[in-house]
Amino acid sequence: MAEPAKNNSVAELEKKQEWWWAAEKKRSKRLDYLRKGMWKKGAIGGLYPAGLQVDLEQAVLQTQKARELETSPDPFVVKQAKIFADYLDSKTIFITDHAQLVSYVGSLPNTINWNPTMATILNAEVINDPTVIPEPLDESLKVINEVIAYWSGKTDADRIMSQTDMADIMKILSGTIGWGIPLARGGYSGKDYEYIMSGKRAFEDVLAEIDKNLDEADASAHEPTANQEIIKLYEKMNNWEAYKIALEACIRHGQRYARLARIIAENYETDNKRKEELLQIADCCERVPAKTPRTLQESLQYDLFIQLFSRTEAVEGAWPARPDYYHGPYYEKDVNIDKRITKEEALDLAGEFLIRAAEVSQYKVKWVREGLQGIEGTWVWTLGGVNQHGDDACNGMTTALLQAARLVRVSNPTFGFRWHPKVKEEVLRECFECIRQGLGYPSMRNDPLLIANSMYWHGHPIEEARTWVHQACMSPCPTTKKGFQPMRMANATANCAKIIEYVFTSGFDPVVNMQIGAETPDAATFTDFEQVYDVWVIQMKTIFSILTRMINAARAYAPGLTPRPFLSAISERSVESGLDVMTPSLSRGNSWITAFTWVENADSLAAIKKLVFEEKKYTMAQLKKAITDDWQGHEEMRLDFVKNAPKWGNDDDYVDNIMLRCLRDCAIFGHELKDPMGNNWPILPENVSGNIHYANVVGALPSGRRRGDALYDGGISPGPGLDKKGPTAVLKSCGKIDHISDGRAFLLNQRLSPTQMAGEKGYSLWKAYMDTWYNLGLDHIQFNCVSDETLRSAQREPEKYQEVIVRVAGYSAHFVDISRKTQDNIIQRTVQGIG
Amino acid sequence: MPLCKECKKFFPIKEDPNKGDCVQRVVDPRQAYYKAKPVGADMDASSCSSFEKK
Ligand code: SF4
Repeated sequence: MAEPAKNNSVAELEKKQEWWWAAEKKRSKRLDYLRKGMWKKGAIGGLYPAGLQVDLEQAVLQTQKARELETSPDPFVVKQAKIFADYLDSKTIFITDHAQLVSYVGSLPNTINWNPTMATILNAEVINDPTVIPEPLDESLKVINEVIAYWSGKTDADRIMSQTDMADIMKILSGTIGWGIPLARGGYSGKDYEYIMSGKRAFEDVLAEIDKNLDEADASAHEPTANQEIIKLYEKMNNWEAYKIALEACIRHGQRYARLARIIAENYETDNKRKEELLQIADCCERVPAKTPRTLQESLQYDLFIQLFSRTEAVEGAWPARPDYYHGPYYEKDVNIDKRITKEEALDLAGEFLIRAAEVSQYKVKWVREGLQGIEGTWVWTLGGVNQHGDDACNGMTTALLQAARLVRVSNPTFGFRWHPKVKEEVLRECFECIRQGLGYPSMRNDPLLIANSMYWHGHPIEEARTWVHQACMSPCPTTKKGFQPMRMANATANCAKIIEYVFTSGFDPVVNMQIGAETPDAATFTDFEQVYDVWVIQMKTIFSILTRMINAARAYAPGLTPRPFLSAISERSVESGLDVMTPSLSRGNSWITAFTWVENADSLAAIKKLVFEEKKYTMAQLKKAITDDWQGHEEMRLDFVKNAPKWGNDDDYVDNIMLRCLRDCAIFGHELKDPMGNNWPILPENVSGNIHYANVVGALPSGRRRGDALYDGGISPGPGLDKKGPTAVLKSCGKIDHISDGRAFLLNQRLSPTQMAGEKGYSLWKAYMDTWYNLGLDHIQFNCVSDETLRSAQREPEKYQEVIVRVAGYSAHFVDISRKTQDNIIQRTVQGIG
Repeated sequence: MPLCKECKKFFPIKEDPNKGDCVQRVVDPRQAYYKAKPVGADMDASSCSSFEKK
């Protein structure tokens, strides 16, 4: 496919399914400028794209302020708030031509924000990453060295890890069984949107609430009868002071944008229409975040500010949000009631909102970038669903966002759509159109089932469960006072293929030469399948325990060691109590263990059961030897394990029952493990691009996989090419899982043929398929709908296919931004003919 | 010694003219924008390569 001739019409381009070129022609001049002006930030092969620079401004300003405060008598939390405030007051801000929305996490559009207060291992990566260090190099290196030297031993990770078990830390940092480090200011941060985004209050209102609490606390502390109880009050008063410092700085920051917009309008801009827009931006930023929004533009700007401030305080790898639900009332008022703006103008705002989010970038360590190829974090925004009364919550903003996504075609954020029986046909068609046009999103989520799941696993009351958003790629979490989770630490992410691997190595990890799992008996001596399975359970429990106890410790230490004054200040529970938002007693808990590389366990156990213990074709000693040899010299035997053992995804009870048994043992253990809130730790099988990241970390497996082969791509997706019985069989296998009690959620990738999805018939086929999916009780499904031909052409001539998007796992990425191995893995996925 | 307040790019804050914004136009390879950074009116501008006399 060559670049389109200039005279190709939108209709011609759409007929040829060249959606990316059609989008360029369809979108407004403003959106076209902003989309093309966007600096893509997602790492390619673990490296940031050319032209990006690590931003030294936050690192320098925070270090200066921290030094200045060293001798101050301020409590730690107040110092944290002052460092945060000083940065917002001093940082460089900018307004892009044609923009209507403002704010960025770094100083300039091509910068990657670097927060030096998080982890020494992250700081060390900055200095060793010459591709992003700004010129002049010597000067930058001097600055970076000074920053690193100052924060060494003072970062969150340094202080948290010194409080936890060194053996556990070594196991986690070995990179074999888990992913991430346990930080309260580094992970997936939920928000109390019901408190701060529902239009009832904004920052000045919260400040008034805090002042009232402070006055009451002060009065209590000075009562003649005041006793040792006042010690607790002092702690609260310090926290409230810190919240005030943070919120006041946020308001000032908004006003800085207002001032800049006025300066440009009054001194530089010659175009009258643009002048008006700039004055509109000024009004908007004078209004929010201080006061509640009145218009769609103000509402979107308010949201962006909140996200920016939260990312100033923390490194956030996800973006839990429900933009149609919270911005929908403003859309309705502006477009349909007051008719202030047209639908097209609202679409421009929605498109720009997506672009502003797509630009956000915070420096992350290389193994995180490798696990999230092509994107900056899993920003899965939640659309659709029901309101707290159970009525359909879709609105004009739902449609606007789905349409805007097709115009701007960013790969991050993506959407997860809460599908339920009351969703209108016209909205489903919008979802389908995004899927058909190859965006890979929205993923479809079974809303009634996930509401029930949230109630089952974490005890969220129904009204709260109904507010759920994706806390990361997949896990639902309410947006309420007790229900929202302030931080999901990424290291409860288990590389589950290690469970079956450790059955054969007695818990010794041959890749890092370390005893990581449990020291179980020699697998070569096992004489029946139950012995294998019992050891599998022991290894599963060992790995899950290591990961979760680190997080439990970090969560318990967080309020004292790594407080979050800004996030606390926008959370009802903290404003009310004066306690840090991470305080376990204030929260219901919503923990989960992400289960990467999960399905290999069921396929491997099924192969062992059938070929070793039932057909007795091989002994356990032979199998152990073959695996230890990475199947080298045992090719015939390997092919037997690949071809003649039952595989998940074919509606075959033999292996499907093993899958259920494994899940149910994890579920039992998930009820035994408790988080610091006293709540459960269910598993959640999904992968981001961990299936590629871990390919060299996981040894040979009884499924017939060799070390280095890509692992399976989904959470419960069958192995690529191993689902031989068609799409309904895949759904039937997955439908045997109880999607309420067997785990927190289950990711299923499917590929559809773009030819089959064309036209009205395509919609009917998809709708029928989705009805089956819904009736079988699955909680998730997502689609790639790009042909092999297009993907192969993109591999040959990437420069011509820069805008082709694919669904990787819980996220989408531009095809050209992911590794060759991941590209091949996506092409290998079975294209399902449906209907 | 030139000072920021003598520069075209300096915009004082009404409530406190000792402080202001240094506002500059930037055209990068992808987009054009105006950027602002807080500066003091009496900041030494002698080593600033962007200084432009009012
Ligand atoms: S910093 Fe330089 S460009 Fe900015 S106001 Fe001062 S002298 Fe002018």
